[in-house]
Amino acid sequence: MAKAKRPQPLAKPNLVTRLRAYGRDHLRSLVFSLGKLYRQRFATTLTLLMIAVALALPACLYVLLNNLQVVTQNWDNAGQITLFLKVDSSDAAIQELRNRFADYPEIETVEYVPAEDALKEFRDRNEFGQLLDGLDDNPLPPTLILTPITAAKQTSKLNQLATDFRSYSNVDYVQLDMQWLQRLHAITNTVRRAITVISMMLAISVLLVVGNSIRLDIENRREEIEVTKLIGATDRFIRRPFLYGGMWYGLIGGVLALLLVLLALLAIKRPIQELVGLYNSDFQLMFPSFRQSLGLVASSIGLGLFGSWLAVSRHIAKIEPS
Amino acid sequence: MIELQNITKRYPENRDVLSRLNLTIEQGEMAFLTGPSGAGKSTMLKLIAAIERPTRGQIFINNKNITHIPKRKIPALRRHMGVVFQAHHLLYDRNIFDNVSLPLQIAGYSQVDIRRRVRAALDKVALLHKEQVMPITLSGGEQQRVGIARAVVNKPAILLADEPTGNLDPDLSAEIMQLFAAFNQVGVTVLVASHDLDLISRMHKRIVRIHNGQCVDAQDTHVLHNYEVVK
Ligand SMILES: Nc1ncnc2c1ncn2[C@@H]1O[C@H](COP(=O)(O)OP(=O)(O)OP(=O)(O)O)[C@@H](O)[C@H]1O
Ligand SMILES: [Mg+2]
Repeated sequence: MAKAKRPQPLAKPNLVTRLRAYGRDHLRSLVFSLGKLYRQRFATTLTLLMIAVALALPACLYVLLNNLQVVTQNWDNAGQITLFLKVDSSDAAIQELRNRFADYPEIETVEYVPAEDALKEFRDRNEFGQLLDGLDDNPLPPTLILTPITAAKQTSKLNQLATDFRSYSNVDYVQLDMQWLQRLHAITNTVRRAITVISMMLAISVLLVVGNSIRLDIENRREEIEVTKLIGATDRFIRRPFLYGGMWYGLIGGVLALLLVLLALLAIKRPIQELVGLYNSDFQLMFPSFRQSLGLVASSIGLGLFGSWLAVSRHIAKIEPS
Repeated sequence: MIELQNITKRYPENRDVLSRLNLTIEQGEMAFLTGPSGAGKSTMLKLIAAIERPTRGQIFINNKNITHIPKRKIPALRRHMGVVFQAHHLLYDRNIFDNVSLPLQIAGYSQVDIRRRVRAALDKVALLHKEQVMPITLSGGEQQRVGIARAVVNKPAILLADEPTGNLDPDLSAEIMQLFAAFNQVGVTVLVASHDLDLISRMHKRIVRIHNGQCVDAQDTHVLHNYEVVK
């Protein structure tokens, strides 16, 4: 009854053939998953728009923050050093100091405000100016206002200069106009942190959007997955088109996000240039660089792949033929 | 080739479908599995294809114990079997050629080999001319034959079929059984579950009946005996 005859098994493909088939399957998954997105245009469009908006928002904020930093970098009157001299300094001593400070390489300009001018200015500007009329002597000191060169406008360098200036005997008090700089710095840091947090939340939403689309896709193709498992497909083989699907979501969503960012920047370019132009005439709105654009699209692809990987690793293993 | 030792299978919240069942199918043998509805024919085939796991007992395929085969090794096991299960139909989003070639694609054969093997398999089921057609346009019998072509395309050593003639007319059913016998001729071990006593008794192959969760070779049972006498 039982025959001794063994069936001639099909020769297992050799390594080169298998590698080539492997590459072919990647290519096929790549094309197939793109075709599937196209066949479900409506759902795909919704998903892509969600991804694009979620990525464009933090990207816009980031570009604006970069612009803000460029603007504030060349704000000139920040970082001035005001030296209040002793009230009884002689004119010769003051002249000597002016020359000394002008020689500092870190100092760009030295402005001298004599005590009388300071008083006059105080009177003109201040509604309580007449209070000073009761005094016999001018209580205001002569003042030097030093403007450092841009390179020296850093907290540490300014502090160093201030310490140096304090050692002059005719200098009574050194006031660093750094508060404003520091405040700006703190604000920028806060905004940067906020953008990071927002980016992270929106990145998670992209993961969820992609993961959910892929999950639905897996659910719709449950029968196909069961059949392919029954004829010996590995999970890896079955995953491939879904992972490529996530990759496409990320790639196309990322490119759309980039377009949205550029459109948004074009839309605000004119008004923002007018606004900033009031303070800084040669301001040009900075667009994202090529590297930043690439980074946006690359992180979008990463999110798409990760989102689909989450869905795939959760759901494909659970589907078994029955 | 296929050996079930002391197999008990109980589905959750159900009685024992199979209980202490023993069965050996030799290399190159062809056997029919029969028994009333609910006897456990499908269950047995599922155990062999590692779709279900036995509650107790051991299963050997080619002298390899697959009772506790890890999940990641199941694909390799299934590549050595061809299965024609009723519930697992063709994929309706691709043509006949792509359906039949699927097992070869999975195993990584070259395009040339795939083309050659698929045509050979389709030729055997007499559907070569429908290569580029979508499954939905085929009749039930033709679809069943495409399923068989897919099951044999990679020349498996074992062929499992569950009710492969389910709702086909008698002529077509006989044709399909002949097809299985032809595969058996070239050495494939074939196990077919079927109700159709009339048909299978005419095949002159071993008939195994599942009775009370155990296997009985049908030559010994009077039911089939009577049946043969009537014939
Ligand atoms: N997944 C399952 N969960 C619970 N019970 C099941 C499951 N699959 C099958 N059964 C039960 O196991 C018994 C045997 O089922 P099986 O499908 O193996 O029978 P069969 O011999 O193939 O019957 P048929 O000839 O009708 O196809 C039945 O009583 C069925 O209700
Ligand atoms: Mg059944």
